[in-house]
Amino acid sequence: MSTSPAPLPIRLLAQWRTFAPSWMILAGLAVMPLLLSSPNFIRLLFVTLLWITTSVAWNLLGGFAGQISFGFAVFYGIGAYTTALSMNAGVNPFIAFLVSAITAAAASLLVGLPTFRLRGPYFAIATIGISEAVRVVMTNLSFTGGASGYRIVEHRAFRQLDHYYTALVLASIAVAFSVFISRTRFGLGLNAIRQDEDAAAGLGVNPYAYKLGAHALAAALTGMVGGVFSRYAAFIHPQGVFGFQTSVHILLMPVIGGIATIWGPVLGGVVFGIVEEQIIASFPEIHLFIYGSMLILIILVEPGGILGAFRKLLRRIHGRR
Amino acid sequence: MADAKPKPPILEVERLTKYFGGLAAVKDVSFEVREGQIFGFIGPNGAGKTTLFSIIAGALKPSSGKVRSRGRDITALKPFQLVQAGIARTHQIVRPFREMTVLENVKLASHFGRKNVTSDSAAEEHAMQILTWFGMETFAQKSASILSVGLQKRLEITRAMATEPDLLLCDEICGGLTHVETAAMLDWLRRIRDRGTTVMYVEHDVKAITAVCDRILVLNYGRKLSEGAPDHIQQDPAVIEAYLGHPPGRRQEG
Ligand SMILES: Nc1ncnc2c1ncn2[C@@H]1O[C@H](COP(=O)(O)OP(=O)(O)OP(=O)(O)O)[C@@H](O)[C@H]1O
Ligand SMILES: [Mg+2]
Repeated sequence: MSTSPAPLPIRLLAQWRTFAPSWMILAGLAVMPLLLSSPNFIRLLFVTLLWITTSVAWNLLGGFAGQISFGFAVFYGIGAYTTALSMNAGVNPFIAFLVSAITAAAASLLVGLPTFRLRGPYFAIATIGISEAVRVVMTNLSFTGGASGYRIVEHRAFRQLDHYYTALVLASIAVAFSVFISRTRFGLGLNAIRQDEDAAAGLGVNPYAYKLGAHALAAALTGMVGGVFSRYAAFIHPQGVFGFQTSVHILLMPVIGGIATIWGPVLGGVVFGIVEEQIIASFPEIHLFIYGSMLILIILVEPGGILGAFRKLLRRIHGRR
Repeated sequence: MADAKPKPPILEVERLTKYFGGLAAVKDVSFEVREGQIFGFIGPNGAGKTTLFSIIAGALKPSSGKVRSRGRDITALKPFQLVQAGIARTHQIVRPFREMTVLENVKLASHFGRKNVTSDSAAEEHAMQILTWFGMETFAQKSASILSVGLQKRLEITRAMATEPDLLLCDEICGGLTHVETAAMLDWLRRIRDRGTTVMYVEHDVKAITAVCDRILVLNYGRKLSEGAPDHIQQDPAVIEAYLGHPPGRRQEG
């Protein structure tokens, strides 16, 4: 009965059907800027790819492991500032992104060690507190310019496609990561923790260590997004990258798309990338209120998000399983 | 054999006490479980049986007292460490992972239990073996959420057994089952014991407990009332007075 598993390339080939759509989307996104070269359109795609990445990253902890954090702005901001400071110190931007990943992951441990002793809503509230505390500290930190922000000086011509392809690679890494994790022992453990932490622990899972692990991976990805964004924007300030609305954005997307799935957070990122600027432009005063209302609405009406609603619809069409 | 040094017991509980606020749910309880036994616990509702199991399994911290396994102090260990030490439990109120299939539920235990299987295919194979052993293989691909109560109880045991424990704590696995199902479940307990896993078993049904257990401990208001072989327990005046003496209707179901 026991069959030794086939080598990886064979297995991937055998699963080509599963991944064919992903490869097609990736190829489409790779050639997109060559076909539609409007800078505004590419900027929109760039921003959407960044949002997709944070959304998928957040989902590793908030979706797979079920630990709802309102504090991802900490990692986004730390990533942004790390890249900015590194680049101004003469570090190659791509090395700077990696440094951002490491500092953000390290920060996630500092945040996670105390907060993962808490559960459910208490964990969520603690992350808000920490996130706001970090923002206040950054607002008053003089060597990064405090509240007035920090500027990156890059002695290279600005090429939008550089930024775009960086974001595309990062988003692909995030999705691939998410697919990979969902198929491993680690992913199974996270899944069990989400459903019943105590039952999981009673079967040998170490919930504390697993949450810390998922948190660190999510933070590393989010930190890199912060870095890519800050290089693009060339100017960052605490109110923006460390702002509460950043945490809310990062959390809202996977919730909109469908938590604890592979494609839900991607979908949420796409939707959000498209509507975000419209919402902020049309309702500059109350956009956070709108996000809050959306969050409550989704949780009440369809906790599975768009993907969950879509699945229900399919099931109804095909009749009960 | 007579000269051989006796092995330290698989479980040694020493003056265990647990307070919830002012209430002593477990008070000064001591006992030993020998390898190869089915060790039973009875006692009225709220006697502290589940609390006792939760402490042993690491889910609750005792207020005082010690738990040892084969001479090793395991009082402060976390649940996942106790799994590695060979102790697994089932829950009185079943706790399947409802968004997983039956197989995935068991696979998780194969992965994270004492076998520490890291490859996915090996874990699946191990899980299928255990499922087959418990006659659950036909349900492998079913969602755990749609099982009947009886099957959910069986999944609870199957999953715990997939961690390959030396000591299995079973908390009311027959509650809500029919006579036929109960008899089958007791048979499973014997087979688990014969397979080499020591069993600790809580049940309200005195008949079930006396039928299957080698030794029984009676709890009452958190205290040990009596301990001994089934015959001994059934004749102990204190037990008859406090527990068996009650009209049967009062102690049904927990
Ligand atoms: N988490 C808790 N917090 C406070 N009190 C608790 C807690 N768990 C149990 N108790 C109390 O401790 C006492 C012992 O409860 P326990 O569940 O251990 O009893 P039991 O013997 O398992 O009862 P049953 O036969 O009904 O399952 C009860 O009075 C119960 O109300
Ligand atoms: Mg109980």
